[in-house]
Amino acid sequence: MRPLILLAVAILAALPWLVGSYLITVMIFIFFYAYLGQAWNIVGGYAGQLSAGHSAFVGIGGYAAALLSAHAGLSPWIGMWIGGSFAAVLGAVIGYLGFRFGLRGFYFVLLTVAFAEICRVIALNVDAVGGALGLYITFTGNARQFQFQDNRAYYYVALALMLGATAVVRAIETHRFGAYLTAIRQDESACEALGIDTLRVKMQAMVLSSFLTGVGGTFYAFYLFSLQPNAVFGIPLSVEIIIRPIVGGAGTVMGPILGSFILSPLAEISRSYFAQGGWNGLHLIVYGVLLIAVVLFLPQGAYPALRRLVRGRPA
Amino acid sequence: MTARRRPENTSRRTFLKTAGAAAGTAVVAGFPAVLHAQAPTVKIGTLHCVTGPLAEPGQACRLGAQMAADAINAAGGIKSMGGAKIELLLGDTQTKADVARAEAERLINAGAQLLMGTFNSGDTAAVVPVAQQRRVPFLVDISAADPITANVAKSVRDGQQKVQYVYRNFPTGTLFGQRAVQYFTEIFKESGVSPKRVVLMHANDLFGQNQARGFQAAHKAANPSWEIVEVISWPEPPSDLSTEVSRAKAAKPDVIAPITRPASAQLLLPEIAKQRLDIMGIVGPGSPGLYEAGQIAALKENLEYVMASNPWPNFKNARTRQVAEEYTKRSGGKTFDTNSGYSYDGMFVLADTLERAKSTDPDTVVDALKKTRFTGGLMVYGGPIMFNEIGDNPNAIPAMIQILGQKPVVVWPKDVAAEKLVFPRPKR
Amino acid sequence: MDLTLVGQGLLSGFLFGGVYSLMAVGLTLIFGVMRVVNFAHGDMMVWGMYLAWLLSIRAGIDPYVGFLVCAAALFFFGLLIQRGLVERIVDAPHEMQILLMLGVALVLENAALVAFGPDPARVRSPLSQATVWIGPIFVDVARLVTFGLAMALTAALWLFLARTDLGRSMRAAADNPYGARVIGTDVRRVYAAAFGVGAACVGAAGALVSPILPFQPTSGLGLSVTSFNIVIIGGMGSLPGAFVGGILVSVAESMGAVFLSPSMKELVSFGLLIAILLFRPAGLFGKAAG
Repeated sequence: MRPLILLAVAILAALPWLVGSYLITVMIFIFFYAYLGQAWNIVGGYAGQLSAGHSAFVGIGGYAAALLSAHAGLSPWIGMWIGGSFAAVLGAVIGYLGFRFGLRGFYFVLLTVAFAEICRVIALNVDAVGGALGLYITFTGNARQFQFQDNRAYYYVALALMLGATAVVRAIETHRFGAYLTAIRQDESACEALGIDTLRVKMQAMVLSSFLTGVGGTFYAFYLFSLQPNAVFGIPLSVEIIIRPIVGGAGTVMGPILGSFILSPLAEISRSYFAQGGWNGLHLIVYGVLLIAVVLFLPQGAYPALRRLVRGRPA
Repeated sequence: MTARRRPENTSRRTFLKTAGAAAGTAVVAGFPAVLHAQAPTVKIGTLHCVTGPLAEPGQACRLGAQMAADAINAAGGIKSMGGAKIELLLGDTQTKADVARAEAERLINAGAQLLMGTFNSGDTAAVVPVAQQRRVPFLVDISAADPITANVAKSVRDGQQKVQYVYRNFPTGTLFGQRAVQYFTEIFKESGVSPKRVVLMHANDLFGQNQARGFQAAHKAANPSWEIVEVISWPEPPSDLSTEVSRAKAAKPDVIAPITRPASAQLLLPEIAKQRLDIMGIVGPGSPGLYEAGQIAALKENLEYVMASNPWPNFKNARTRQVAEEYTKRSGGKTFDTNSGYSYDGMFVLADTLERAKSTDPDTVVDALKKTRFTGGLMVYGGPIMFNEIGDNPNAIPAMIQILGQKPVVVWPKDVAAEKLVFPRPKR
Repeated sequence: MDLTLVGQGLLSGFLFGGVYSLMAVGLTLIFGVMRVVNFAHGDMMVWGMYLAWLLSIRAGIDPYVGFLVCAAALFFFGLLIQRGLVERIVDAPHEMQILLMLGVALVLENAALVAFGPDPARVRSPLSQATVWIGPIFVDVARLVTFGLAMALTAALWLFLARTDLGRSMRAAADNPYGARVIGTDVRRVYAAAFGVGAACVGAAGALVSPILPFQPTSGLGLSVTSFNIVIIGGMGSLPGAFVGGILVSVAESMGAVFLSPSMKELVSFGLLIAILLFRPAGLFGKAAG
């Protein structure tokens, strides 16, 4: 397995020198959403606590880094960790309330959505953070400000984020913490009976997940150069975050990456082929149908299906 | 620091390998004129939100740009470049910043030498770095948030960027506000009544808040004889505005100043009628929702006598009337208005620039853009289209329009007015 | 504080609650029986609205009559979704179902965009401008009618579940799918019928609120979120809960618009949701915690 991974990383590292800027951009979004999906995977996949409000962490992280950079002159390279910490605090609050009060399944989904929506409404109405107009970041191309004149630099940052989060998740999986998380997803009351402090474990997963997601907010802000409450705290971004790991296989190391490599190209291909004619919206119908098809053909997720395929036919 | 653009053929080949390849050919197929042309072509990428929550204006922008390109090609293309035809590459931002950025890259790789778009300020901001990174001149046809151009200008001033590739032919929020306050004051004076109490009601989304802020700031600076007694904003899109209107009524207004989107206008105006507000009129500081053919069909008498300070086509110009007629035909009954009009003019500004630049070299195009003095615009302007040190057109101004006899007509400023304004509105 | 304003706000909010109740009834039925979290709920309702609009402008049928057609159309759509999609992934992880319905929502939203264009629409009904004045306070006639219809629809559904064989087997399948199978119920058929009936309610509700709410292809998400809010507050699967929850949320938002800034009124309903989730997760009318 290891040589295969090294080869894949080597190919990805060499890729930006072989392809054009459009493909680089597509890859950047594949990495970035895989990163966010990986962060979500810790609490949503391994621990089985379906958060559908992860956009709030992207928003908090992005806003914090952007505001610190604009008003205090603080480099986003530092701000991103502060943003991540703010997100972790919010994650701790949401997690504590949800876990302490025993909200499971769909109830936890709605709790997280409600918190994200509250963040959105507050950001819309507080002028100090830009209100509905949002924040606009000046493009300087200065690397100290987490900005790059060359798209390839963003590519490597996004790749590093994805690989870093994947390493974290891999480490979790191979340690006891990961076993606890999986056990909680499968049978929480049995875990408690075994003396595992499930509240503590779930809290740790939530805080780590929201911290990593918050760090990603800085990348969002300084790659897209504007932050609007409806865009970064909204439900559509949360959906973008969760669909990739679910399609790839929630609770697996490779799930978010596979999911991202499946869905992002599908979206690009639908848009390239079907967005030109007079029927505006056709490409999103196509994308929706493809999404449904993926769910029907890979109901357990892409990675588990792949593993079964590989194991089913030994070499 | 500046990355050199890859040779066109390399990126072209790479592009062909990718799935996006069909896009280029699909676009060509959509414009039969291009296929027959022997002359070289100039590829212009348009980015608009033709799907998503702002699809309505986005589709209007796209059609406006397409009609302009057709008109330019029919008139012989870019003459100084051997009659080069304009080929449009169409992008859909889906009203999402990340998609806007990816689409901008896609169009550039498909060969776009200039960009135009995007309507939504957040998406426009995401295209700005692409234009700066890849040195592709980008004309903002619509987007009112002030920082979009100002930020780039600042970056160039500070020496962080060498050249500004982003220009805008649309009023900023600040300019919108200044004109609206001026028109309000002049109209009140002209009509010989003196309303004192204005209630500002606005959609609390990007555009609504930008407009409201500009209006309030300009009001404070001008200090006119009328005051803004209350500001009421609602989450956009709203499901219900009855309590908001009750609140406005309790403030005893003489004038309601609404900043709406089409959906909220369909709730707000009937509610104002139903709750029988005793007002002299409804005068908007500038927003969609108050003049479109579809809105008039849906709101009928509720829109009669409503005024709005909007960028508007100059229908005193015979060519405007001709284009508007054609637009109505091609759009299936829509009005040629703010959005379609500014995208139409934007394409002509780019054609005029290319005519003078005689080349598509980005820096030559930018030099020509800076020297623009274009007088062939179809909209109401305060002078020729030009770009100031920030990259904005100071002559992009709104006009006051009013719905009279179920048709939007310009009523102010006087020199472009098609009819005399009616204020206060007749009591029903 | 202006007392007229408070009174008017309370009344408007209360009557508008009928609209919210209608929105939530179909959702709570589908969840209550099937445990399917229908993320395409709002988009299905938007299609109900567009069908009512088509009937109104093409055939001159008033939405207060045309809603029956919309209900029938959505019934078959619901049947199709259950048989063609939901049923195929019963064994998959729970989150796959959410993804599936998100895919359906995306298709529905953009199919509406292709079919009807992006402009907001609103069905005109002779009722929509009518008002009755009681001193300084007015009653919106369309809302009053909608309120009555919401009550009638909730009652009819309740009777259907309590008094008919199909309704009873739906409740049995909801309470204990295994047990229902043991006593010989064709659970597959019952589920398909339940999804169909739930979808029919969504279609009817869409048609009935179409003279009050303007709609466009993208309206679905907002409708879904509001409906989920109401259903959780009232109690997942509870019909009276959906009815009372709708009124409660509407009054809370209206009071939020009176006492806070109207643009913050959503804070009130989300705050209410969080409070209910934490202290009474089964909702006001729910049976047991989920």
